[in-house]
Amino acid sequence: MTTFIDYLLGGFSSGAVIALFALALVLVWRSTRIVNFAQVGQAMFTTFIALIVQQATGSWFLALLAGLVAGAILGLIVYALVLRPVQRLDTSGSIIATFGVLISLQALAAMIWGGEPQSFPPPVANDGLEIGGRIWPISWYDVLVYVVTAVLVVALTLLFTRTSLGLSMRASAFNPEVAKLSGIRVNRMLAFGWALAGVVGAVAGVLIAPTASLSPNSFDILLIFAFTAAVVGGLDSLIGAVAFGVGTGLVLALVTGYGEAGDAPIVVLILLAITLVVRPGGAFGRGKSRAV
Amino acid sequence: MLEVKQLSVSFGAVRALDAVSLIVPRGEVTAVIGANGAGKSTLMRTLAGLVKPESGSAELDGAVVTGRSPEDIVRTGMALIPEGRSTIPELTVEENLHLGGLWRPSAERKATSAEIYDMFPVLAERRRMRSDTLSGGERQQLAIGRALMCDPTCLLLDEPSLGLAPLIVTQILQLVNQLAREKNLAVLLVEQNAVTALRVATTGIIMNLGTVVRVGTAEEIAADDELRDAYLGS
Amino acid sequence: MPSWLRNSRLLVHAPLFIAIWLVLSRLNVMVEPLMSYYLALAAMYATAMFGMVILVGLSGQVSLGNGALMAVGGYVFAVTSLNWQTVPILGMQWNAVWSVIFAGLGGVIAGLIIGLLAARLRGPYLAGLTLGIAVGLPSIAARFPGLLGGSQGLMLTVPYPEGGYATDTAAAIDAAVESDAAALDLALSGTSPVPSDASSGSSDMLTPSDVTGSSSPSDMLTPSDVTGSSSPSDMLTPSDVTGSSSPSDMLTPSDVTGSSSPSDMLTPSDVTGAGSSASADPVPMPSASAISSTPSGTVTDAGFILEQWQASVSIAVACIAGFVALNLVRGRQGRVWKAVRDDPIAAALSGISPAASKVSAFVVSSLFAALAGAVFAQILTYVGPGAYGVALSLSLLVGVVLGGRGSLVGAVIGAVLLVGLPAAVSNLAGDRGWSDQVTNNLPTLAYGLLLVLVVLIAPGGVMGLLGSGWRRLTTRR
Repeated sequence: MTTFIDYLLGGFSSGAVIALFALALVLVWRSTRIVNFAQVGQAMFTTFIALIVQQATGSWFLALLAGLVAGAILGLIVYALVLRPVQRLDTSGSIIATFGVLISLQALAAMIWGGEPQSFPPPVANDGLEIGGRIWPISWYDVLVYVVTAVLVVALTLLFTRTSLGLSMRASAFNPEVAKLSGIRVNRMLAFGWALAGVVGAVAGVLIAPTASLSPNSFDILLIFAFTAAVVGGLDSLIGAVAFGVGTGLVLALVTGYGEAGDAPIVVLILLAITLVVRPGGAFGRGKSRAV
Repeated sequence: MLEVKQLSVSFGAVRALDAVSLIVPRGEVTAVIGANGAGKSTLMRTLAGLVKPESGSAELDGAVVTGRSPEDIVRTGMALIPEGRSTIPELTVEENLHLGGLWRPSAERKATSAEIYDMFPVLAERRRMRSDTLSGGERQQLAIGRALMCDPTCLLLDEPSLGLAPLIVTQILQLVNQLAREKNLAVLLVEQNAVTALRVATTGIIMNLGTVVRVGTAEEIAADDELRDAYLGS
Repeated sequence: MPSWLRNSRLLVHAPLFIAIWLVLSRLNVMVEPLMSYYLALAAMYATAMFGMVILVGLSGQVSLGNGALMAVGGYVFAVTSLNWQTVPILGMQWNAVWSVIFAGLGGVIAGLIIGLLAARLRGPYLAGLTLGIAVGLPSIAARFPGLLGGSQGLMLTVPYPEGGYATDTAAAIDAAVESDAAALDLALSGTSPVPSDASSGSSDMLTPSDVTGSSSPSDMLTPSDVTGSSSPSDMLTPSDVTGSSSPSDMLTPSDVTGSSSPSDMLTPSDVTGAGSSASADPVPMPSASAISSTPSGTVTDAGFILEQWQASVSIAVACIAGFVALNLVRGRQGRVWKAVRDDPIAAALSGISPAASKVSAFVVSSLFAALAGAVFAQILTYVGPGAYGVALSLSLLVGVVLGGRGSLVGAVIGAVLLVGLPAAVSNLAGDRGWSDQVTNNLPTLAYGLLLVLVVLIAPGGVMGLLGSGWRRLTTRR
């Protein structure tokens, strides 16, 4: 039983980060109906920038701040240069364009910072906490990850449901023409959605970097898990993305713990396939996703 | 007053509007009628800024609106209620309504929305429900309410009768007429349903193949059987 | 002439493809082994991309998972040719052709299953499912180390027409080490022998640590990939994502063209790997030789040059696949696919089943993918999860987009670009005094920027550009 709990606790951390990436994908999807494959590439790039700031100043907080700003700016750049012109195209056009951005960002990062994995120091201890005489697979750093993720999710939910800005963003996403006719500056809202997604991705990148290593390709696999979580969650639902993001992390941890690490992607694939067969629009998709 | 001067629009080689000029005075309804493809919707979409005109202009109370973005045109006081289901089904009734005035200070917005809820009590009852739970007529009320949220001086209505029962159509159009008089709005109404439209309008304009072929009082046009046969096909 | 014959496209298409086959076969024996190797790769890509043209271009379903379907073909080919060589089929002796046919059958079955799953899905959900397949399916191999070789994969011998050929591992290693450096230089650096860089690259190549070094980024055409940290089974664990060894290179298409692109060979980590070459090879690598020796022009005991034989198989399969694809595309089925893509409701009202049309596109593209996978297996003389990773799936998409989404000729152009572009970019970068870190990643950057530019400027790809250029020429007043 305790091993089971250990696995679950371990899964929560990676699940939280997968949830953040899924959240970023959902934000972009909601604003522009595009699945942004470049999201993890943007996160990787901004995390490198955060690492530079960390190395220069020694401050994790400043690094996070730099990552956030860089994430927003990079999100805006990708949107303005690539996706805004592409929007008129079909799904495959946007998928291919974002994929092109991903490859370009990875190559650029490899050119600038090299392919070798670099370590990103955590702001608080990343050692297992000792509670009640035994060491649990959860550290103060994990706690920080949970708290930041929870705060972000709550803040985003409030933004979308309780503010004029959130309403403008939702209207722009659902029906750009009606939004324009209502006086909403739709292009600004879409760009804001991309910037916001960039920020969330940057947070995810800075949070995962200390427990992982940072290299141009180090977030690739997270893209697939986050994508799975976002798709299973219905792509439109913030709550779905978070729930299935964390869920994916837990499943991965349990499969890795009890079975073999190599089985994890198969299990994720099976979950994805079953969900899509039962509900082709995702578990939280189609009509149920209004609230958030 | 909305004044359209020599407005032309082309889609590629097709000329959708050819030097259209018309005047929409405040306090009354001006109806544009014509068959499918006459250029009515293009006229409305161009006035609202969704389509860029090739030449010509439109002025709202002396200010040029052509060439500006839809978002800016709304701010000058001209609101288009587009054809078909122009409410957003995923949003609640209240959210749909508030959309129209998000750019205004929140105090003004709240005052206007209270006014609109008084005008359409059914919307007030259903404010927390998703807008796709409304009936067709209620949805059209919501769309009009949203347009009113920007405190317009000019309303553009594109085929409000589409898909509605005749009784509801009459109600909606009478409401539009009442709005024009009480709020001193310049209302431009596009309709295929000529008889009903001319009943609430003061002036009638007949369009065919992108041009204005006849302007007259609503009574004149409604009485002219030849015109009806030639351009309206009914 | 009877009408059925006059209307038959077979009459035109069959001679066309026989002619193409003859020309390519002739070319194959005229050029150096390295070019034959490139030819084999390009024909293999083209085969798979004919399927992508039908699936993505005609049927309008974006697949990020056709590399996994290639894995199905590759593994069926490998397993049948390894285990069933003594089993007579229909009274005939076992023959590699049987393996290819079984591979195709495997592809059809896999395509049917995936197509049934996918037919109801819209754009991003379909992309999600196929991406999941691209990641999940190859790692199934890791589950069956006995039959499928686990994450290390299986080594093959190249099946020869006249029997008796078997690779003696030790001899092959010797051959690899002794094989002339020039050929290896060529393999590593592109079409022309580049002096210093490439030769140092080749020396890195031959050190055992490089072959298996855990620090080297994945490069599927080299054995390092096979055993390295990059095999999906390893990399998909959360801890591996964080692992110090560089994980998957999976999203870079340059990987796929593998040994032809120097980028992956000469990255700093690779060089460090070579520096610490004392480290013992942790995994037995019986296969290393076969791959390193691949582009070296080994003359087999049957009198063939290995690459030429591989290329001739690849070319033959590509020509057959192209012939079938062209007949499908230009025939009734092609119109059905397009009708469903453009307006499923209208198609349904005309008596076409949209679901059946979508599933059939998946089955056909899967068949071609599996055939290409079988060819790929015999080019690599190896199958493994790393070789058929996400990078392969995505590079197929890249190739189809670059060439032109709806065009079979575009698929051929895309295949040539996939093979040739990395080398071309490296040559262009040449001696500009840029650091390795920059030049090595240039091909990947070029891929990425090209993808974006193609979508932004020329959504029809190369074929679209050619088409509009042609129209401009012909409609000139």
